[in-house]
Amino acid sequence: MTPLVELRNATKDFRGIKAFSDVNFSLMPGEIHAVLGENGAGKSTLTKVMAGVHTLSEGELLIDGKPERLETPSAALAKGIAMVYQENSLVPSMTVAQNIYLGHEKTFNRLRGIYIAAQQFLQSLSFHVDPTALVSSLGAAQKQMVEIARAVHQQARVIIFDEPTASLTPEEKRYFFQLIRNLKKNGVTIIFISHALEEALELADTITVLRDGELVASQPASSLDRNGIIRLMVGRELSGEIYADTTETRKIRPLGRKILSVENLSMGGLVRNSSFSVYEGQVTGMFGLVGSGRTEMMKVVAGVIKRDFFHGGQVRLFGRPIRYRVPAPAIRDGIVYVTEERKQEGFFETMSIAENIHIGQVVKNRGGGFQVMSMNSAREAADTWRNRLNIRAINPDAKVIELSGGNQQKVVIAKALIQKPRLVIFDEPTRGVDVGAIAEIHAFIKQLADDGIGVVVISSYLPEVLAISDRILIARQGKIVEEMEAGTATEESIMYAAVH
Amino acid sequence: MTTPNQSASNRRGFGLGNIAVTQELVVAVAAAIMFLVFSATLDNFLSSANLITLVRNVSVLGMMSLGMALVVIGRGVDLSLVAIMAVSMTLAIVLANGGWSFGLALAAGLAFSIAIGAVTGFLVAYVEIPSIFATLAIAAIVYGLGRGGIADLDVNNLPPGVDWFIFLGRGSLLGIPVSIWLFAATALLLHLFLRKTGFGRFVYAIGDNIETARITGISVRPVLMLKYMLAAFTAFMAGAVTAASVASMNMRIVNSTMIYDVLLVVVLGGIGLTGGRGGIRNVLVGTVLIGLLLNAMTILDISYTVQNLIKSAVLLAALVVEALLNPRDEQTSQQGDI
Repeated sequence: MTPLVELRNATKDFRGIKAFSDVNFSLMPGEIHAVLGENGAGKSTLTKVMAGVHTLSEGELLIDGKPERLETPSAALAKGIAMVYQENSLVPSMTVAQNIYLGHEKTFNRLRGIYIAAQQFLQSLSFHVDPTALVSSLGAAQKQMVEIARAVHQQARVIIFDEPTASLTPEEKRYFFQLIRNLKKNGVTIIFISHALEEALELADTITVLRDGELVASQPASSLDRNGIIRLMVGRELSGEIYADTTETRKIRPLGRKILSVENLSMGGLVRNSSFSVYEGQVTGMFGLVGSGRTEMMKVVAGVIKRDFFHGGQVRLFGRPIRYRVPAPAIRDGIVYVTEERKQEGFFETMSIAENIHIGQVVKNRGGGFQVMSMNSAREAADTWRNRLNIRAINPDAKVIELSGGNQQKVVIAKALIQKPRLVIFDEPTRGVDVGAIAEIHAFIKQLADDGIGVVVISSYLPEVLAISDRILIARQGKIVEEMEAGTATEESIMYAAVH
Repeated sequence: MTTPNQSASNRRGFGLGNIAVTQELVVAVAAAIMFLVFSATLDNFLSSANLITLVRNVSVLGMMSLGMALVVIGRGVDLSLVAIMAVSMTLAIVLANGGWSFGLALAAGLAFSIAIGAVTGFLVAYVEIPSIFATLAIAAIVYGLGRGGIADLDVNNLPPGVDWFIFLGRGSLLGIPVSIWLFAATALLLHLFLRKTGFGRFVYAIGDNIETARITGISVRPVLMLKYMLAAFTAFMAGAVTAASVASMNMRIVNSTMIYDVLLVVVLGGIGLTGGRGGIRNVLVGTVLIGLLLNAMTILDISYTVQNLIKSAVLLAALVVEALLNPRDEQTSQQGDI
């Protein structure tokens, strides 16, 4: 049987950063195919290539055995491949029927006509959704139904789901599985990306596992079990010297004074009743998969997320209850957050390195706005930190936007550390950073802990978590579910706690 | 030592030997050429009466442009400046005519303008209304207050016996009109504010990237309010100079195209509407160029309608150039989802 969709020696890179390389993948007609892997393993990108969102850098894409080049999602749709994205792509202010027919309306569109057609169509799929309801009034599972209905209506032979169950309740999940099985009966081929191993094992015919952009296994689901998949997902050879610190000889830093204690923290649907503590003089690693709420927990602590969404729980800094609406008071109290979105909220692109770093210092003081600015003190402060962090730039007046990713990240870190924090939260500190700078940033983070500062490192890269943490917190579904000593934790045990 | 702005704009411009070509320099040179051409070709251009008119207009336009520049650098726009200028001064005049001492009446006008600035700032910073809509509504409300509540007539004359105040508009010191001194002083103060105080740096930071500013720990909302209050202050100053030079204030100016002239000065001078870029020097060159242009068009007796057409065309061209010079990077420099 010819595969419906096939990738041969496929590679995709974004400006030199490889999302996946040399992947051979085939999708057989009528199967349910699960694609599993850690964050950043390349799952989304791999499927987006099939959906026409990205094009391959190297290698071939074959549909029905013929080479194809899908430049746009509509080209993929013309070949019968539709994708249902993680963030759903429905128009909330339109009705269900309008969404299903979106882009396929007749020139003179009659609402009554499409309502009747949509009603019949939804019934044929046995989806119980009112076609006249506004999408904004639907729940997550119903929205997903509408997305699926739209894909089927567009005559899709292959439907790709990106993390379909992430936002569903257990009941909605069961219903969703039923839908998937129905689709399969109707001859639709399904790919779904997931973190949830049980779902994959329950539902899929074939399971493909990606790890660091490489396809490590693609085999019938019946030949795999939970532990086998976890081994496949994490079983990497540790990559060289950067992460060499995981050896037995490493000394674990003891617990210092308790800086932060978080009890029963809840925020919206992302953080649910989470409790944990952070201590001085230690690196606390925080691991969790997408949607585990790890970033949101720490953003609430640092005041980055507004209190409007802050529903409950208690956060104490050195025993004193705190509750920040904006980051400014958190910073004055000594909590700084180093963002994972460097380009969006990390630095000021019109300012030089020195100005970026100096402004962090000015902000720290309560009356900072009234402070008289002096170029010399800005230079001095910036020079100190340029040397400490080894920020390489030909010209100290260079704008940050002109630097490499690693040097940009160092500027963002310097801007935070000049504020003399007692608790630093690094969110993905080495994302998009070159290998040399990763080692330097890791060394620097460890130095901070040795200096007695409380350090939290949020990372979705297991070797990184293992290499720099003294204690590891594992987040799952908006909660810290497990706490491990760095000495006893392994990639497998962490992943076991993180998946659901 | 180069100011941050110099170094930033130098890198944006392209080199021409040792001189970097920036929008600021181009505008300054254009203004100089225009001055020479007008001097040579227009009969009355160099007459003292015309030069005094030119200078007075320039100082009023320039003063308001300083306020607008401050708002734009912090990524925003303030369309209510002309309304604040006219109505706050009218309030002062009406109070003075109603028996208040003139100094006290002026103080009340100033307080009124700053209060309006505070309301605008609150709407933008706390209620999170886009500045263009908030200030458009405020402009209409302020003008409505002026015509409906404060005064019955559009034109209100200064009370007699305030020669010291008239001196601000008509007198000169060391051979230079006082209104120019006032403009220069306001420009210097705002320059020092922007360059030498923490608040000034915060305004740039917020204009550059408000999310980064927030995470860095800048109290974004109070700074935004301060920005609109200072802009309202410059509008009041502009109103004072206007009233002093013609001994009255005409509220009909709110319905003129003056606010577009102000915006034109700021954009043409090289202050990007994307925020975080440019400084007071950009306002100075922009003011001179637009002042010359408006004056020459008046001497040439170009009709009001055609003048508006020319000005709007120049504004649109300047906006296009600005969009080409400062594209927003967020959209273009994003990496793919790996």
